[in-house]
Amino acid sequence: MRLFRLLSLAALALATPALAADPIKIGLSGPFTGGSSSMGVSMRDGVKLAVSEINAAGGVLGRPIELVERDDEAKNELGVQIAQELINKESVVATVGYINTGVALASQRFYQEAEIPVMNNVATGSIVTKQFAGGDNKANYIFRNAANDAIQSRMIAEEAIKRQGFKKPAILADATNYGQLGKTDLTNALQKLGVTPVATEKFNTGDTDMTAQLLRAKEAGADVILTYAIGPELAQIANGMAKLGWKVPMVGSWTLSMASFIDTAGANGDGAMMPQTFIQVPTTPKRKAFIEAYQKAYKIDRIPSPVSAAQGYDSIYLLAAAISQAKDTDGRKIREALESLNTKIEGVVTTYDHPYSATDHEAISDNIPVFGLVKGGRVVPAHPEDLEGDKAMRVKPKA
Amino acid sequence: MARLFWLLGIAALVVAPFLVKSPYYLHLLVTIAIFSIVTLGLDVVFGYTGEVSIGHAALLGVGAYTAAVLSMHFGLGMWVALPVALVVTAGFGALLALPALRVTGPYLAMVTLAFGTIIQILINEMTDLTNGPLGVKFVTPLFVDLRPYGAALPLLDMSLKRMKEMEFYYIAAAALLVTILVINRVVASRYGRAFEALRDSPIACDCMGVSVYKHKVIAFVLSAALCGVAGVLFAYSEQYVAPNNFTFELSVQFLLAVTMGGRKSRLGPILGAAIIVYLPNLLADIALFRIVAGVVAAVALAAGAVSVLRDRDSWRRVAAPVALCLAFFAFALALQKITDFKLAIFGVMILFVVYYLPDGIVGSVQRLLRARFARRLAADPALANLPQARAITVQSSKQGAEMLLSVENIVMRFGGLKALDDVSLAVRPGAIHGLIGPNGSGKSTMMNVLTGIYVPTAGQVRFSGAVISGLKSPQIALKGVARTFQNVQLFGELSVLENVMVGLHHAYRSGFFGIVASTAAARREEALARARALNILRFTGLEALAAEEARNLPYGKQRLLEISRALALDPTLLLLDEPAAGLTAPDIVELVAIIRKIRDAGLSVILIEHHMDVVMSLCDTVTVLDFGQKIAEGQPDAVQRDPRVIEAYLGGGAAALAT
Amino acid sequence: MQIFMQLIVSGLSVGMIYGVIAFGYQLTFGTSRTLNFGQGEALMLGSLVGLTTVNFLIGQSLGTLTAYLLMLPIVLVFGAAQGAVVEWLGVRQALRAKSDAGWIMATIALGIIFKNLAENVWGRDALKFPSPLPEASLSFGGVRIQPMEIAIVIGAIVLMTAVEVFNRFSIYGKAVVATSNDRDAAGLMGINTSRVITLSYALSSMSAAFAGVLVAPVTLTGASMGAVLGLKAFAVAIIGGLSSGLGVVVGGLILGITETLTGYYLSTGYKDVPGLVLLLVVLSVKPAGLFGKAAIKKV
Repeated sequence: MRLFRLLSLAALALATPALAADPIKIGLSGPFTGGSSSMGVSMRDGVKLAVSEINAAGGVLGRPIELVERDDEAKNELGVQIAQELINKESVVATVGYINTGVALASQRFYQEAEIPVMNNVATGSIVTKQFAGGDNKANYIFRNAANDAIQSRMIAEEAIKRQGFKKPAILADATNYGQLGKTDLTNALQKLGVTPVATEKFNTGDTDMTAQLLRAKEAGADVILTYAIGPELAQIANGMAKLGWKVPMVGSWTLSMASFIDTAGANGDGAMMPQTFIQVPTTPKRKAFIEAYQKAYKIDRIPSPVSAAQGYDSIYLLAAAISQAKDTDGRKIREALESLNTKIEGVVTTYDHPYSATDHEAISDNIPVFGLVKGGRVVPAHPEDLEGDKAMRVKPKA
Repeated sequence: MARLFWLLGIAALVVAPFLVKSPYYLHLLVTIAIFSIVTLGLDVVFGYTGEVSIGHAALLGVGAYTAAVLSMHFGLGMWVALPVALVVTAGFGALLALPALRVTGPYLAMVTLAFGTIIQILINEMTDLTNGPLGVKFVTPLFVDLRPYGAALPLLDMSLKRMKEMEFYYIAAAALLVTILVINRVVASRYGRAFEALRDSPIACDCMGVSVYKHKVIAFVLSAALCGVAGVLFAYSEQYVAPNNFTFELSVQFLLAVTMGGRKSRLGPILGAAIIVYLPNLLADIALFRIVAGVVAAVALAAGAVSVLRDRDSWRRVAAPVALCLAFFAFALALQKITDFKLAIFGVMILFVVYYLPDGIVGSVQRLLRARFARRLAADPALANLPQARAITVQSSKQGAEMLLSVENIVMRFGGLKALDDVSLAVRPGAIHGLIGPNGSGKSTMMNVLTGIYVPTAGQVRFSGAVISGLKSPQIALKGVARTFQNVQLFGELSVLENVMVGLHHAYRSGFFGIVASTAAARREEALARARALNILRFTGLEALAAEEARNLPYGKQRLLEISRALALDPTLLLLDEPAAGLTAPDIVELVAIIRKIRDAGLSVILIEHHMDVVMSLCDTVTVLDFGQKIAEGQPDAVQRDPRVIEAYLGGGAAALAT
Repeated sequence: MQIFMQLIVSGLSVGMIYGVIAFGYQLTFGTSRTLNFGQGEALMLGSLVGLTTVNFLIGQSLGTLTAYLLMLPIVLVFGAAQGAVVEWLGVRQALRAKSDAGWIMATIALGIIFKNLAENVWGRDALKFPSPLPEASLSFGGVRIQPMEIAIVIGAIVLMTAVEVFNRFSIYGKAVVATSNDRDAAGLMGINTSRVITLSYALSSMSAAFAGVLVAPVTLTGASMGAVLGLKAFAVAIIGGLSSGLGVVVGGLILGITETLTGYYLSTGYKDVPGLVLLLVVLSVKPAGLFGKAAIKKV
């Protein structure tokens, strides 16, 4: 028996160096092609930047992070298949990603079942983090570090109605989970301000002709268009308005900052406003460093979707910190660590200080995002005073 | 031999979940089984009936969404969904068949495409019913909970997840086996023959009393019903469906599966389904893909070498496909990320199969091994105990003065052209009535009017007292009028025996469900039909060729086969359209003897012919047409000397020479 | 009422595009009794090649209108070449084998291949095509129409007229007509029917490519733009009758207007449905189309 123990210890000792180099697999699921691709690609690039930084500094628990990336093409059913592949075939310890709310909602249950954490770094549908909160669930494995739609819709309503004084908003939302859930959030937010939308229109992703919807909004006397959609269709709304010779302001969800909207709408897109957790302006040293590193690594000047890149970057640092704290890659332990992070993490969007608890899985609070404005082919702060001085770094208030 | 093969297959199916531990790969097997159900159904429409259908993904969607509606709005689970989806999707199949009835080929393909697109749009837009693009969630059910017995079965992983996976696997495998059984029985029955008949010659099919319309509908409905079942299983297996699951691209993949696997087989569509399910996985793993491409190139090279060794000249034929396989391998080596080209690879595979592998993998292997699943004839014990089935029966033996067929003042106009101008004739029972005239005189048009292919512009046709002009071809055929065709219209891919058995279709009483259930009555009928068909072949001297494919027969025998098939209808009147055309002298002698035998058995015959000696020796009466008009009628030798007849055939001056 | 007129006018240009694509179907069906199931992809490729060319020329400091006009002949030649390739790869062999399923599946396969290749070369996003004409709409009595939409109608008519004139007055055109009427007789008269069929496919894809660069400036261009277009154009071809030139134009206009009206009064999601349903109904009731002639079966 003793000989056996000695031998097994020896074997373990010999095996450990091999184990040390064993990478930590993290799944990366997002749309790298198709209408949502500016967001997906930027998110992925932000994630990769963070991973290379961490690996260069020695990795996590002495092990390098290995990303397993899969393109879900913004399609819910593909997200489902990818989730099953990442969990069952690739055995990832955690997954970052989901740009599209619908994909997240369809796919997350497999991670929840397998007790593997998901860090939603872009998807904003409010119920994404509530899908498995409370009720029969003993624990919730879904986390987020993006500004959810409850926050955004409140901001949109306040900006359009209170700050800019419009009275007859029309809502144009796409037919996906994102668009429809966002539309509901927006309608509720408007109701709290005592306003009802004069028109609520729907369209499918891939539609190029918005004439019918815009005509109906125009007939109803709309004075501002509130949007919940993604790049190409948003561009067609802007272009459609120009075609009809009817131009009213566009205020909408954060996707109005996507390169595909700005480029395809061209001059017609100028003036659109949207909430942003990150605008590509070096307002703090960390942000300056991030922008420069990104530009150098990917050899571009304008980040296609700055919000996605920044949040993607931050999501890896959050996960890495949790894995370090848990000293383990077991899903349960990572979740517990995330819910009780005891180190401050200096991210691009904000500095994270105990961002999560057992009941709160949202790292971004409603004081963090500011409004962005499309101008001359880029996104600039709409109200520059929001980001001056101390206000440049906005943190989540302590619970 | 085939039986052993299937037993092995079933054994493999049963054992698989114990060997495949990874839930991911087990899920893949389940998907293969589900898609196999779809492709086996598609094989009925595409492989047997010969119609390209690009709408089967939509039918799968109908099945899945039936389950979705039942689950979301009524809280009903899988066991209720299965039969309901079968019926609902079958209904959609019938709906699809409606516009598909009157068209074929590219039109029909477009119909299925339009249908599929409409269904996808409806699923996407009727959000109150289907939840639209938001999709529907399902939970894989567990029906038999074996966890309490965990202690007794220590080898198995007893987690809930694993139990669900294994149980669902067995459900899907069972569904697949049932599907194979049903398809086997249907294609071996008269329905299978009817499907192939309507592909090979819809006109002959109708004229044999087998309604093309009805059987097209049956093919689509059967195919759709299977998609319905597959759809429910798919929904519960994937645990999430959205409208985007059921696209045009998936329909095309199903087609690829059937063509590449091999049509008209059971193994082919299953193999094809395995290919299309596994291919994306293969593409994701670049190393594995390269290995497979290498194997394919090696096999192609070997096959090409064998072919050239056998026959020097064949290098021309094999050069292109072998070169393509090698190029594909090079492409696999060169590219880093293949998944982006997934669809292009599917497209190239389709092209390859269309050109070089028209029989699919299974078909090509079969041909290569020369091991055909031969249609066994003899040694059917049921045959021995049957009374000698008679070859020919006459439906009504009307001897005597009353006319069997009465053609009254028929006019047939095509636009401005009068093909038949006020033609009347009458056929006695038991007579051989000749119909002659120069080319273009309207003889074949008359045939087509008599058999319902054309509706006469004016006039009437009476048969056994009843008016038949205006009826459809299958109805006229079933009343007792059978015909052969000037251009042979055989069912090429069916055997000689099966061709005749299509004519016997009318004698069956058992229905579709009797065949599927393989009742004793259904089997007895089938055996009786075989015996009867064999006897008809004895009558016409073709019994030695019974198992041969009709298209392989020499020309003379093909004509005799057409006559045999017509006799199977138990007709009272047989219309022969130039049966001697293209026959050698000895064949003609044989033909004349057979026609005499037919008349002696009690049938009446209308004979269109150009061979005057045949007409003279056989016919009791002859009618002569010229430019659509009747110019003479009477006994053969009288007609032969009639100057108007001579003028019609030979021109003016010749009439004066005849005496 | 004004909305109604606006919808009708919007539908006209869409309808003409359908007409031009359907016209392409007619060309090939006439000579070979085959269709290119990837006709939508021919349009898509023409549009994307046109985009690259125009962007390149604009990069050479040419004005947008000049660049567009210079690009046109290039795209026409490309379209013709693409059509010839489709015929050679997809149709020729299948015609020899007299197998319907063969060319149906081959042209579908080619369409899929082209789409996937386009996705890899140009990406899967929708791209903006620079408009050669000013984008601001003109207003006629309250009804707005973009100059490019007028150009579409004119361009479509010019193309179809040009091909018709070619068919009637040039020797090659007469060969096309002869082959359409009776392939065997034309062959016996010394016409190389195989080359005629290749020519008809070239003309067909050329029309589709031209339609692609006409429609691209008023919508977005991208690898998936061809998919549903091909099917709807087939609906137009069937409704109009696969042998009638006028029928195709009328059918296209009917479909275009029905679509915009459905989009507004019913719902944009159902926009595509009327055309498809019309296709099914016409094929159920009068397969030769509203304008076509029923062929007599000869047995």
